[in-house]
Amino acid sequence: MSGRLPVNLIIGAVLVALVVGVAALSLIWTPHDHAAMTIRNRFQPADGVYWLGTDQLGRDIVSQLMVAARNSMTVALVAVLIGGSIGVMFGLLASALGGWVEDLIMRVADIGFAFPALLFAIMLSAVFGPSLTIAVAAIAFINIPVFARVTRASANQIWMRDYVAAARAAGHGRFAISRDHILPNIAAPVIVQGTIEFAVAILAEAALSYLGLGAQPPSPSWGRMLSEAQTLMFMAPHLAIYPGLCIVIAVLGFSLLGDGLRDITDPRLKRRRA
Amino acid sequence: MELSQVSVGFAGAVALRKASVSIAPGARLGIVGESGCGKSMLGLCLMGMVPDAGQVTGSIRLNGQELVRAPERVWRRHRARDVAMIFQEPMAALNPLKRVGDTVMEPLMIHEGLSRSTARARALALFEEVGLPDPAARLRQYPHEISGGQRQRVLIALALACNPGLLVADEPTTALDANVALRIIDLLVRLSESRNMALVFISHDLAAVSRATDQMLVMYGGDIVERGPTAQVLAEPRHPYTQGLLGARPGLENRGRTPDGRRKRLVTIPGTVPPLHDLPQGCRFSGRCGQEFAPCARQRPQPTALGQGQEAACHLLSPLHAGHGTCRGAA
Amino acid sequence: MSAPLLQLDGVSRRYRMPRTALLRPPPVLTAVDDVSLTLNAGQTLGIVGESGSGKSTLARMIMAFEAPDEGAVRFQGAGLNRLSGADLRLARRRFQMVFQDPFGSLDPRRRVGWSIAEPLRATGAEDSAARVTQALYQVGLRAGDAQKYPHEFSGGQRQRIAIARAIVTRPALLVADEAVSALDVSVQAQILNLLMDLQEEMGLAMIFISHDLAVVACICDRILVMRNGKSIETGDTGALIAAPRHDYTRSLLVASGIET
Repeated sequence: MSGRLPVNLIIGAVLVALVVGVAALSLIWTPHDHAAMTIRNRFQPADGVYWLGTDQLGRDIVSQLMVAARNSMTVALVAVLIGGSIGVMFGLLASALGGWVEDLIMRVADIGFAFPALLFAIMLSAVFGPSLTIAVAAIAFINIPVFARVTRASANQIWMRDYVAAARAAGHGRFAISRDHILPNIAAPVIVQGTIEFAVAILAEAALSYLGLGAQPPSPSWGRMLSEAQTLMFMAPHLAIYPGLCIVIAVLGFSLLGDGLRDITDPRLKRRRA
Repeated sequence: MELSQVSVGFAGAVALRKASVSIAPGARLGIVGESGCGKSMLGLCLMGMVPDAGQVTGSIRLNGQELVRAPERVWRRHRARDVAMIFQEPMAALNPLKRVGDTVMEPLMIHEGLSRSTARARALALFEEVGLPDPAARLRQYPHEISGGQRQRVLIALALACNPGLLVADEPTTALDANVALRIIDLLVRLSESRNMALVFISHDLAAVSRATDQMLVMYGGDIVERGPTAQVLAEPRHPYTQGLLGARPGLENRGRTPDGRRKRLVTIPGTVPPLHDLPQGCRFSGRCGQEFAPCARQRPQPTALGQGQEAACHLLSPLHAGHGTCRGAA
Repeated sequence: MSAPLLQLDGVSRRYRMPRTALLRPPPVLTAVDDVSLTLNAGQTLGIVGESGSGKSTLARMIMAFEAPDEGAVRFQGAGLNRLSGADLRLARRRFQMVFQDPFGSLDPRRRVGWSIAEPLRATGAEDSAARVTQALYQVGLRAGDAQKYPHEFSGGQRQRIAIARAIVTRPALLVADEAVSALDVSVQAQILNLLMDLQEEMGLAMIFISHDLAVVACICDRILVMRNGKSIETGDTGALIAAPRHDYTRSLLVASGIET
């Protein structure tokens, strides 16, 4: 594959690298302890010590943003991996078996699509109490029908290929074919979808945290930082702006990366660019 | 139309080398070869549709006008009116959302400024000319509602809409069933005769070319290796590649069994068609030809006239190398 | 007299088409209509017809990819549609298929050796490395080619690989669906010769499906002509070519250049 990479792929990759890099860095180093409160230092302006200043409790904003990035990435990664795996499994199953099984799985997926994710998370929190685990479970759950659909659509195309017919002629069953031929050949669209869903998951995690249903204090999260800053909007607008900016950068980065990956893996688009 | 010494090069590959072809009004020329031999590139040269990455040199003249480096704007004036083309895949060449009648009427209204009703009448006449059954009903149908053969007829009608002097048909029957293909070939021949329209028929199928044309070129690796009257070339092929192609095609003589009970085998050309960026030096066919001798690997053979308009580019036939064995069929 | 290798008795296959109107029953397309044939071990039968004639559907039924709506497909005396999943899997060792498109019939992400060994793994056969190498030699390729990927080969070589995969279990029947149609003429002849070699060496029975009567005639003992799902003419190759009873057969002869 030669030629220039699409611009959205490059910008997306840079933004994603930035966010992931910062999140990884927070594991070993932050400028300050993100949870250390020094009331004396509250509402410090940005300076050499507190790069972006401090909040209403005197906590360092940069440190909080970095740890929040890590939390956000972890939630999104776990949720997309769990939801994606289950969704891909259902998609493969639907495609392999066809008939009423396929109809059933896809109709259930349709219902899942119709179900508002936030409502589902609020419901879960009401039952089990708010926690990060519940947020992950809710986001994972809404990912299942998305991946089931993408997987089934791509897999149905691969099932029409001659090499699948050849594998059937060889004597392989539907499950062996799904494992040996279908899965490797639908990896590209599924990975693209995963990247885009990653962005959606970051947004969902921020929304849940904003509502107080995600990460619990003192664990920082962009969404909760945003909601805490809301009441101080006129006194200290920067408290709202920085986490908001982080969400935008992360979501934009993964969306652009997903788009870019789609552009280079979709042969139809490739031909159009040529 | 006259091409002389036309070459098309892409980065690191020669797609067509010094091809000279002249097409008189009403002539029917077949271009035969396997995939990647340059036959489609020759067709695209005739249409001025060589991809932008291709370097075209030589001379392409249409009714005396030099067009080799003419800009797209100039070519567009000639396409449809002087040269038209039909393709292998009739479904891909038709807009699926448009009634086939509208597809044919469009160029008439744009190029010739006809009113809708006149254009419709012309389209109807064209549909009749290309032998579409119940042409009035066909005008209103969509591509998916008619058969592959009928789609190809619609495309022929479209190509004929502006009365071109030359029709280039690139593998027009390959995607069609055998007996449908036959009728399309017969239609092309009939149209060429009734309209005094030149026809360039590009195909890998020797039987189709034999039926459609009276002159033919055989191409290999971007070179024209043999040319002449179709019947003559097919009856007495002189270039080893042409001989190989003819032998490889199953016919009556390959049928049945040898005395020891084994089935008769076909004549084969060993190896595969080399990619254009990896052609052998010297004769393009060296390495696959069974009758090679000293000059073949080094030197590019020049065309040798063989009488009756037939010529072939092979060292075996060149007077310079007389005595180095003989080609089969030359006796 | 033992049972013939393959026997089709009055096989039909219908497909329901999408509804054209809400209250009318959906139209039915009869892809294969009451076709019977018999093939003995080591024999070659050609099936000729244009696209839509039902020849590929017939192949799919012979391969037990789908079941006939009527009639029965019997292989070595056993009704294929009545076999259990495990028995059918085992039976597949004995009949294999070569597809039309040499670019589509090999998984682009798998090494050639892996693809060739697939029927061995699927049917639980052993000694696969040696069998793969032998199959590669039989189709004129080298042992080292097993480590390569399909995109490293030309169309003709890929078709050789597909044939190697089909013969690796030493089947009794090979179904070739338009196996040479996508190839250049010179390569087509090589593959036809290869199929003749294998057929004679291994005593393979072969069903050779093509739209091209000339190709079928050079490799088959008998020919069955299909049109619109029906078998319209069948007979020994020589007799059928010398004196076709049906006008349609004659037009196929003309189209393939045998007759002018």
